[in-house]
Amino acid sequence: MTTVTGEAGAPRRTPAARSGVLRQAWINRTDYLYVLPALVVMLIVIAYPIYYTIDLSFFKTPPGLQLKDKVFIGLENYTAILTSEVFWRVTLNTIIWTLASTVVSFVFGLGSALALHRDFIGRGVLRAILIIPWVISAVAASYIWKWIYHSDFGVIGAVLVELGLLSRPPNFIDSVNTVLPSLIVVNVWREFPFAMIMLMAGLQTVPDQLLRAAQVDGASAWQRFWHVTFPHLRSVSTVTVLLLAVANFNSFIIPWIMTGGGPSNASHIWITHIYELAFGRQRWGVAAAYSVLLFIILMTLGYFYVRALSRGERKEAEG
Amino acid sequence: MTSLKLGAAVLRGAVASAFLASAMSTSALAAPPVDLSKWSPDYVKSIAGTKDFDTAADCAKVTPLDYKGHLTFWYQGVFEGDPDVLRQYYKEFFETFRKTYPNIDLEEQGITYNDLLDKFRTALLGNAAPMAIRLQILGGTEFAAKGYLQPLKPEDVGYSTEDFWPGAMKAVTWQGVSYGIPTNNETMAFIWNADIFKRAGLDPDKPPATWDDVVKYSKQIHDKLGIAGYGLVARKNAGNTPYRFMPQLWAYGGGVFDEASANPTYQNVELDSPQSKQALQASYDMYVRDKSVPVSALTNQQADNQPLFLAGQLGMMISHPSDYNVMQDLLKKTTGTDTAKAQTVIDNMRYGLIPTGPDGKRAVVFGGSNIHILKPEYVEGGKVDEPAAKALICMWTSPEWSLKMAYVGSNPGNLNGFLTTLMKERLEKTKFLDVTTSMLPYGIPFPALPQSPEIMNIIVPDMLQNALTGAMTVDQAADDAAKKVKDLMSGGGL
Repeated sequence: MTTVTGEAGAPRRTPAARSGVLRQAWINRTDYLYVLPALVVMLIVIAYPIYYTIDLSFFKTPPGLQLKDKVFIGLENYTAILTSEVFWRVTLNTIIWTLASTVVSFVFGLGSALALHRDFIGRGVLRAILIIPWVISAVAASYIWKWIYHSDFGVIGAVLVELGLLSRPPNFIDSVNTVLPSLIVVNVWREFPFAMIMLMAGLQTVPDQLLRAAQVDGASAWQRFWHVTFPHLRSVSTVTVLLLAVANFNSFIIPWIMTGGGPSNASHIWITHIYELAFGRQRWGVAAAYSVLLFIILMTLGYFYVRALSRGERKEAEG
Repeated sequence: MTSLKLGAAVLRGAVASAFLASAMSTSALAAPPVDLSKWSPDYVKSIAGTKDFDTAADCAKVTPLDYKGHLTFWYQGVFEGDPDVLRQYYKEFFETFRKTYPNIDLEEQGITYNDLLDKFRTALLGNAAPMAIRLQILGGTEFAAKGYLQPLKPEDVGYSTEDFWPGAMKAVTWQGVSYGIPTNNETMAFIWNADIFKRAGLDPDKPPATWDDVVKYSKQIHDKLGIAGYGLVARKNAGNTPYRFMPQLWAYGGGVFDEASANPTYQNVELDSPQSKQALQASYDMYVRDKSVPVSALTNQQADNQPLFLAGQLGMMISHPSDYNVMQDLLKKTTGTDTAKAQTVIDNMRYGLIPTGPDGKRAVVFGGSNIHILKPEYVEGGKVDEPAAKALICMWTSPEWSLKMAYVGSNPGNLNGFLTTLMKERLEKTKFLDVTTSMLPYGIPFPALPQSPEIMNIIVPDMLQNALTGAMTVDQAADDAAKKVKDLMSGGGL
């Protein structure tokens, strides 16, 4: 609350400035009273769960005891997590999942946005079709893809065997090597329309005159894209990538429904692993410690997201 | 009929003797309504239809029929792998309860096997549990150990402890106190397609005698016909997946602890014993070496085997007698030439005893469900209407309803259910039922420990998937699983 937009450029706050902020807060105390109910609600639904999760992360929760009988063990849960093989496996999966899903979704989204930015017959229909994966329920989509991939009943396997290309249906989600790429394909299929919509909106802001002027100056299509279009998309691209990254980092539905993190933890990402630890295996303390680590990472990503947004707003204000 | 020959073999074997000894020892105070020492398909037939029961009159002694109250109740209900006839009986039960107790306002909620435990645990954390719940056989001990359940024994709802299987009563007992009443108990059997056997050059009337034979037969079916031989399932514990691996583990002489012995102590972890590794090796041989089981075995549960079997793409599997009814239900949904194919499969469906291990040891999971009453402090509103809960439990565990609710998939928890006229009718109508009832004496209850649901997860999927995906060798996977169980029991590990 104390970081006011107008002060963002100040190099360092002096004690006088800090007291000035407090004075301002006192002067505007009636305003703060107006937002107090919202603040209280936020404290209950956000601050308390955060506090409780951090607190729980220092306790052991054995299967034979109720949660209220938990045993204080200090940082043991964190040590156990950071020294476990599963943690590093799941972390690597999460990084691959997040990076691949984000980058590929963005690239596909950009390509689709550029293609649909041109005027052609059937553009509206095509745009509507491309948005379908994004509007379909993630749960329904996961079940559909699960059956498409199914090694014994799946359409893909059946077609490949029927065409004589393979003697046995391929293993998409039953193999430790192919399960994660297979899930990433589904995630990209679902997410790229979001990137497309965001970037299509960004493309509306590219001045037509600049593109025409570049064309008159002999710039190639690539040069026009790289030197004119892309710089105008930078802010929206940053926001899109950050939103995709946070969403992918927090993904649950697709990996959980399609594989439950298996086989052999090969498709467990942080969120599914945390859920499994807490609700499947009742390791509430360990799951809480995982959640705290995840919270720190997401807050860091959030910081960059807010910074990117603020920079965009400042540029707009300057422009 | 093959099943009759198999039925004659029921009383043989050391496991049966141990079971009977255990049964006799627990019935010292009162005689059970059936003679467990005579248990065989012929005996079951001879006692069926010999006694009538009046459920409403019996339950009126527990809770007056005009009692006015309110009850919230969750139950592990029917799921995708169950036959339609079971859905009808569930519906009929709640209708009958409302007619019998018109002044009890019942709020029931059916939750599938795979979701029930998670949902119940979450509700308990928020003190928002139902007043009564029907849980899978393994679920109760965890909640009893945590102090969520009220002591509850058959005598509390008008029955006697001896009216229930001794093994089932063990599963509802924690530290000498009973916390629930068994609703149904079951053992599975071995199912095969005689037509596939014939085409693969196997004797269509002879199921594999040992688990080593299962591996051989599975390979022969796959090599000759290009279809899956045995229906291996290794998906994350979806209830029925460990139920298909444990008989194999025990038959080879392995186990999690010593649960397959006559007097288990649950002290030493045996998942890394040579016998347990041999059992895991058999699964590895089928999935990795011979590729003779469904490709999708790692994501399959029994419900996925059923359509494969009906499509003639699977030669053998372990399941309930209800699978015959499920096949009939699925047949109704087929069209065109698929109908004739499915009918051929059903005509060639055979049931037999589950194979033995190399030393002739035969075992099967003693499964089922139990019903419990919660302590008021964990229930939404902080109150439990005990008379209403007992009325429902009395009805569900009555000879009549414990039989109806188990009709094709299981057996009545209340042994008096075997005496009813409906049991006689059931034996006539439900094909292969005598085979699965023949397996009952071979049933081994899973350790009644609060850690049991987690131990199941360590076996399937952890151990099985680690070995079958090549993430670990068979030895490493078994050692890893044993270490996890030891850590769990000592309160450590992730």
